[in-house]
Amino acid sequence: MTIRHHLSDDTLLAYANGTLASTLSVVAATHLAICPKCRNQLEFIFAAGAAELEVLEPDFGSGLDLSIIDEITQLPQEASSIKPENLTLQTTDEKQVPKPLRNILPCELDDIPWKRLVPGISHYPLKGFANPDGKGALRLLKISPGMVMVEHSHSGQELTLILRGSYIDEVGRFAQGDLADLDDNLHHQPVADTDQDCICLIATDSPLKFKGFFSRLLQPLIGI
Amino acid sequence: MKAVLKMASSNGFENHHGCPSNLRSELDKDLFAVGSSADKEAFKRIYLEMGPKLKAYLVKTGQSQSEADEILQETLIKVWRKASLFNPAKSSANTWIYSVAKNARIDRIRKETRPKPDPEDPSFVPDPPETGEDSVNRIQDERLIRAAMQVLSSDQAQIIKMSFFEDKSHAEISAELDLPLGTVKSRIRLAFGKIRNEVEKLS
Ligand SMILES: [Zn+2]
Repeated sequence: MTIRHHLSDDTLLAYANGTLASTLSVVAATHLAICPKCRNQLEFIFAAGAAELEVLEPDFGSGLDLSIIDEITQLPQEASSIKPENLTLQTTDEKQVPKPLRNILPCELDDIPWKRLVPGISHYPLKGFANPDGKGALRLLKISPGMVMVEHSHSGQELTLILRGSYIDEVGRFAQGDLADLDDNLHHQPVADTDQDCICLIATDSPLKFKGFFSRLLQPLIGI
Repeated sequence: MKAVLKMASSNGFENHHGCPSNLRSELDKDLFAVGSSADKEAFKRIYLEMGPKLKAYLVKTGQSQSEADEILQETLIKVWRKASLFNPAKSSANTWIYSVAKNARIDRIRKETRPKPDPEDPSFVPDPPETGEDSVNRIQDERLIRAAMQVLSSDQAQIIKMSFFEDKSHAEISAELDLPLGTVKSRIRLAFGKIRNEVEKLS
């Protein structure tokens, strides 16, 4: 799996700060699990924050309480799961979806009870993942080969992670592991471009805007 | 299925009883000592060094004195318990401890655990083996990053500070500075691009 499309720095910063919407955070964490490059960028952002820490005036409060050190050092430590003695052959299981997503799926990806939206396009909403402001959604989407997704734009942010297959849109080709970090006002129209179903995880933080009469009719149906 | 030959340590130290070459500061050495030999004196030095800085950060991001003390205590407990997971090839002790504090703060504020990747997950894709030139494995040098941050314009620096020190969301920054959200986001991207370029020049 070669990943070509990544999380943008502003999304990573929001994730690092805990200000990214819950729905978007699930997609970000799922991509981070399979993308060493984004993990390194995230580390870079933390390092920049830690560097900023140096310019703060230390706060000694009412003095340092050394007794908590004695208490804490009584606690057991976690053993490192890392065994440095030898090299091991670690395999990555690409059949399964990464944990941040798996934790909230009711079953394996292959057994998802898809709901058909229109011929060739089905979805599965992941409920119970509302953002605090009630806006936005998290869902799985399945696009059959050659199917064109309705053209839409975003009033907020949309993160799409490709779990299986691939699609092409105005931005480029997105294959397994790729993440589309799309900003406001971009109109796009993904097309599944291989003989395989394209399955993706999509999060939004506000409702999508559809273009065209039929898609606007479709919108209440889909509820995205 | 993809097989990845992974240095099981992924910690970058050849001999885990010896002193890894990646330990560059006293704080790095102390944190490593806490993780490898439960060194209580080292832990005390970490507390004296980092405690007041983290307290200042927590108060600055809006916590009351008592909340800040509680989050600081949670942070210290995590640092003690999880020190063996500190990977000096990946980050400095300063950054590692800062991340622990930041995460403790976020988990408390959001009242839910933010989804995070888990290296123990069979689907987790580990970092590729070091090749020397691969930027994926390069340790982030805070001193370089700090020097690099000096090149930011005051507009960019302000947004970065609001993000880190006030832990404001992009939407809050946009409202406070009366800027479109898209402008805030693109300034953040430009700022990090600039910092990264400058770090490359300096290193
Ligand atoms: Zn990535």
